[in-house]
Amino acid sequence: MRVPARRLGNGWLAELILGLVLILAPFLLPSIGATADMLSRILIWGLFGIGFDLLFGYTGLLSFGQSAFYGSGGFIAAYLLVSHKIGNVFLGLAVGTAGAAAIAFVVGLLALRRTGIYFAMITVAFAEMFFFLENSPLSAITGGENGLPNVPNPEIGIGSFDLVIHSPWQMYAMMAVVFFLGYLLARRIVASPFGHVLTAIRDNPGRASAVGHAIQRYKLAVFVIAAAYSGLAGGLEGVLQGYMAPDAFTFDTSGQLVMQSIIGGSGSLIGPLIGASVWLYLRAILQSAAGLGPAWKLVLGLVFVLLIVFLRRGIVGGVSDLIGGWRRPLSDTPADAFNRSSVQVEMAEGGRGERDRSADAPRTKVLEARGVSKRYGGLVANADISFSVNEGEIRGIIGPNGAGKSTFFKMLSGEIPPTTGSMFLFGVDITGRGVTAVCQLGLSKSYQINQLFPKLTVRQNLSVSALSRTRGKFRLDLIRPMSRVPDLAKDIDETMHLLGLTERADTPVSELAYGEKRRVEIGLALATDPKILLLDEPLAGMSPQERAATVRLLKEIARHRTLVVVEHDMDALFGMADRITVFYQGRILAEGTPAEIQGNADVQEAYLGGVHAA
Amino acid sequence: MLNWANFSSQLFNGLVSGALLALISAGLTIIYGTLGVLNLAHGALFMLGGYAGFVAFQETDSFVVAVIAGAVFVGIVGIVLERTIVRFFYDRPDEDQILVTFGLGIVLVELVRFGFGSLSQSISPPAWAAGVTSLGFMLYPTYRLLVFAIVAAALGGLYLLLYRTRLGLVVRAGIEDATMVDALGINVQRTFMTVFGIGAMAAGFAGIINAPIISITPNVGDDILIECFVVVVIGGVGSFPGAIVGGLVAGEIMSLTSMIDPSYSAVMLFAAMALVLALRPQGLFGTR
Amino acid sequence: MGTDLNKGGLTRRAALLRGASLAGGAILPIGLPTWAFAADYPPLGNFPEGVAGSTVFVGIDVPLTGTYADAGADEQKGIELAIEHLNGGNDLIKKISPKTTKGVLGKEVKSGAADEQAKANVAVQNATQFITDKKAMVVIGSVSSATAVALNHLAQDKKVIYLPGISGSNDTTGKDCTRYSFRACHYAYSASAAIAPVLLKALGKDRKAAYLTPDYTYGHTVYDSMTKFTEAAGWKTITNQLAPLGAPDYSALLLNIANSGADVLVNIGFGNDAVNSIKQAKQFGLLDKMTLVMPYLSPFLAKQVGADLMAGVYGTTEFWWTYGEKDATAKQFADAFKAKYGYNPEWGAHAGYLQIALWARAVETAGTFYPPEVIKAYENGEHIKDSTLGEVWWRPQDHQLVRPVFVVKGKKQADMKGPDDYYDIVEVVPGEGIMQAPDAFGCKLGEAT
Repeated sequence: MRVPARRLGNGWLAELILGLVLILAPFLLPSIGATADMLSRILIWGLFGIGFDLLFGYTGLLSFGQSAFYGSGGFIAAYLLVSHKIGNVFLGLAVGTAGAAAIAFVVGLLALRRTGIYFAMITVAFAEMFFFLENSPLSAITGGENGLPNVPNPEIGIGSFDLVIHSPWQMYAMMAVVFFLGYLLARRIVASPFGHVLTAIRDNPGRASAVGHAIQRYKLAVFVIAAAYSGLAGGLEGVLQGYMAPDAFTFDTSGQLVMQSIIGGSGSLIGPLIGASVWLYLRAILQSAAGLGPAWKLVLGLVFVLLIVFLRRGIVGGVSDLIGGWRRPLSDTPADAFNRSSVQVEMAEGGRGERDRSADAPRTKVLEARGVSKRYGGLVANADISFSVNEGEIRGIIGPNGAGKSTFFKMLSGEIPPTTGSMFLFGVDITGRGVTAVCQLGLSKSYQINQLFPKLTVRQNLSVSALSRTRGKFRLDLIRPMSRVPDLAKDIDETMHLLGLTERADTPVSELAYGEKRRVEIGLALATDPKILLLDEPLAGMSPQERAATVRLLKEIARHRTLVVVEHDMDALFGMADRITVFYQGRILAEGTPAEIQGNADVQEAYLGGVHAA
Repeated sequence: MLNWANFSSQLFNGLVSGALLALISAGLTIIYGTLGVLNLAHGALFMLGGYAGFVAFQETDSFVVAVIAGAVFVGIVGIVLERTIVRFFYDRPDEDQILVTFGLGIVLVELVRFGFGSLSQSISPPAWAAGVTSLGFMLYPTYRLLVFAIVAAALGGLYLLLYRTRLGLVVRAGIEDATMVDALGINVQRTFMTVFGIGAMAAGFAGIINAPIISITPNVGDDILIECFVVVVIGGVGSFPGAIVGGLVAGEIMSLTSMIDPSYSAVMLFAAMALVLALRPQGLFGTR
Repeated sequence: MGTDLNKGGLTRRAALLRGASLAGGAILPIGLPTWAFAADYPPLGNFPEGVAGSTVFVGIDVPLTGTYADAGADEQKGIELAIEHLNGGNDLIKKISPKTTKGVLGKEVKSGAADEQAKANVAVQNATQFITDKKAMVVIGSVSSATAVALNHLAQDKKVIYLPGISGSNDTTGKDCTRYSFRACHYAYSASAAIAPVLLKALGKDRKAAYLTPDYTYGHTVYDSMTKFTEAAGWKTITNQLAPLGAPDYSALLLNIANSGADVLVNIGFGNDAVNSIKQAKQFGLLDKMTLVMPYLSPFLAKQVGADLMAGVYGTTEFWWTYGEKDATAKQFADAFKAKYGYNPEWGAHAGYLQIALWARAVETAGTFYPPEVIKAYENGEHIKDSTLGEVWWRPQDHQLVRPVFVVKGKKQADMKGPDDYYDIVEVVPGEGIMQAPDAFGCKLGEAT
């Protein structure tokens, strides 16, 4: 029963509340012991955290090395300002931010080669390398362990009005404005198609890439964006205290950022700010008022562990669960509504009749495999397969378990390259070009085991696929709202209608019934609007009614597309396919119309006989 | 200082410091390989070994007792952590596992700080291992030679455990295919607990062995943990031979760089890691 | 705290026009100008707000965790003893600050301490908190030069006086000096100048030295100063091994030194770095072949590495408690400290005590807390005849205290008369002869207002 924290406050409500809080904070918070300096630092950590949240909360990349960019941005800005190479503080901050981003681009190229724990370790190691570089080899520029003092105060000059930002509350005001702008931008990013792809990568990177998104480029882009936020935050720290400290580069900086973000709640943009407030405030209170001295960190460490164990989504997540708990409407869609839907039945029945089923008519080969083999060490999964599918055809593939169907399917969709031989899609050689490129060329696959984006709703799931069609494999449309993507909403609505999922549009797919999930699975492939659709056991695990309804759905889909279907349900497949290819022991045993296959003695002996006997 | 005598002594020194790093990294990598958990509390366990040994040494004045106490205590702490917290994270995402062990590491470090303060503590090497030994081409601290021998023996023991016992068979099978091990009906729960305990013990053992060389502070494990990351990234995460080779390579890089310019020793270590990542992202012995 | 709210709002609304307002107003963090209390001087820094009541606040900013925790805690004790003496009108403090009666200008001295975790960043954060929150008139404390340098500049920016505790880098009163900062302790140059002649006399002129230098400003300045003085007299510098910050294992560097053919090992390491490197040097057998020199001894070093390793080692220190055998004022300090805390003071405690006493003297001389006047009193060049160090005085050009440096030599365990009796004082070298020209390290003090 989780509501994505992102949905807290629709439209501009979140911005409005944040704006009010930032304005009221100086009037209310000092009474509980918060100072201007503390609030400014909280905002800097919060800004730093927004970048981290885009990276971790939205894209799922846990970096323990953000200090590298925080320090780099800070030191680049501080160096340029202190050495008077740049006079304007804001320009210095901008250059520092850009510098951090540029460094992240290079680091990201290496670090993003791996994911999960590798990525975490690599980022730590890179950050540590920067720490040592700052301290010794670059100390002529960075001041080594002394850091860079005398970072000037920012100055705003408009006409005769000339303001030097200096007093603590002026600094706070500046930080509040920068944070607010940073938050606005991040909100736009997460609401953009780009941001939508990020969440898809977090939920299921493999599928995001299979539906046509070049996820490595998205990851690199968000890594750079996160570094830019870090660099700006680092620069601001130097400006706030008039001094850039080398501590910025320490592992503690990265660790504190991670802990604050988790305490506040990741995936919410505002969580890190809340975490920073808790952290800095408690640090001050526990140290002085409670007299705990150095034990303050023990208390915060325990809080952190408890949150990870019991409330993984932090304070923001806990609050939004509470709110979501009673706000959530109880939708009740009977699981078999789809199966009884007369609309689809009519459409499917009618549609099928119009289709030209003449097997004799000349057709173009749209998909072809020439002499393809796949070996894993000594094991031969596929041997010398030549196979082609004509435009508009429904092709069935059958074969006993271990016959090499799935491996062949993976090669068709570009997930794995063949060991020898070539693949052609619309006459283009796609051998070894990868699943993303194949999808962009118009071939998409639905998986035997659901590969969904579990935390996203049905609509959001289908959007992920639809976006790859309208936007190509990569696009940096950071501030375009989803609603401005042409035809997106309309296409998704149509697809959901076709799948009978309109009622479930805003339900996270993790909460769907199994049959519904299967339909989303097919929908994900369908929403990329492929010319060729590969379906790997689309009927697996379904009840007889569901099977019938799904077969009708597939026939409807096939009106405008070429279908290749692997299926164990012979009756369903033989009733639907134009031609059948039989795999046996890694090779093609036979191929022909359903009637020919049913009459084929080899097939009967090798395969069908066994099935019927069972 | 480039001359033959120095080169050979640095080469040897790299071997000794690398061996210690290899032992700690082996603990990290066994836990990851078997349980799929990257244990960020590993540095804290290393530190804890030093302190447990220190307490035992204060009580008994015996170095041998201190070593045993350090290793056993940390092994027990590892088992307790696994049973009470870590095991609930096997089914959660990698990131959650990293976060919870990171948090546990902080709690351990701060608990020790709470109990012992921040001041460095030290243990003297046993009298029979103090002083220097002549190796012909150089004089080398006897205790460090002893460390090398002990660590080599410990790694040998781990090797036998992993490659010659039933437990090892399960562990290595688990590294290859955890679901298969499940299917074989092996008591995975107990195996996991044992492996976490052994991995923790390796860290704690290294911590107390190292204490006479480097005085212990609550933060003594922080840098070690990061060096271990580099070691396992170079060697390949989850690979036992990778940890050993990675550890030795790391030791040599730092020692040989120090011969020319010590301020680059850490930087070169990370540069080597970047190189491995660029050329062989899965690490020297990594398979995935 | 309700008042802060109004003040805060007011300051933000009253956007500061550059040049149109008094510079003093510019840095007043919050607060209405309370002219009634300061008819003579405009508001500046925390003046007059910080002394509007019957107390004056001193912010103690020292590391209580991390590598320098022991030195930091010792320093804090010295500072708190001085404050206690000030508030009680103790005789010792009256020797150093003759105009003192009780407190400072009749105001009771309050203090608070915060842990800077040996991080410059946190030190700045703490100091800012003291200045804005507690309206501190003085911030005191440091165990590393990084902290001292950072706080030097913060003090200048906030117009609040800052007093470094332990800071060995030449830069603190060199290129990073500021008008608002005053350093009492010895430093790289004066330590090297003091110890070099003693070393040459004791060890001879024909020696080959290897250096183990921590790779940061403090280490580099000590190295530069030591080589300057020893090489001029005939020593050869064979090798300089730079130890990366916080490196726990020195084996590779020690092998370089072992293979270098040097016969003197100059170890510039400080704090835990010194402890680890000395112990490891011993394990590598270096101390049996070479004479160890510690040009800038860190507090508690001998206690941590043990007397047997420190026997015969030459070093300098800011103060050593056995000086009390020769100097009554020093004895008075050491006794008072031991009576209160149960051990003989290390030099961080002494530097802290002296700094507070000298600050009280300057304020009493100025007759006001108005910072520029206090600074003028510091800069008046007057010699303080009877301090815990004998005669000392401030150099107005760089705010460095002209003061003697103690050259000491480690005692053998057998010769120690008590638990803290680690060193023999070889010589107390007068300050005048061991200092560089005031502008040699690029000091430009900046403005007082």
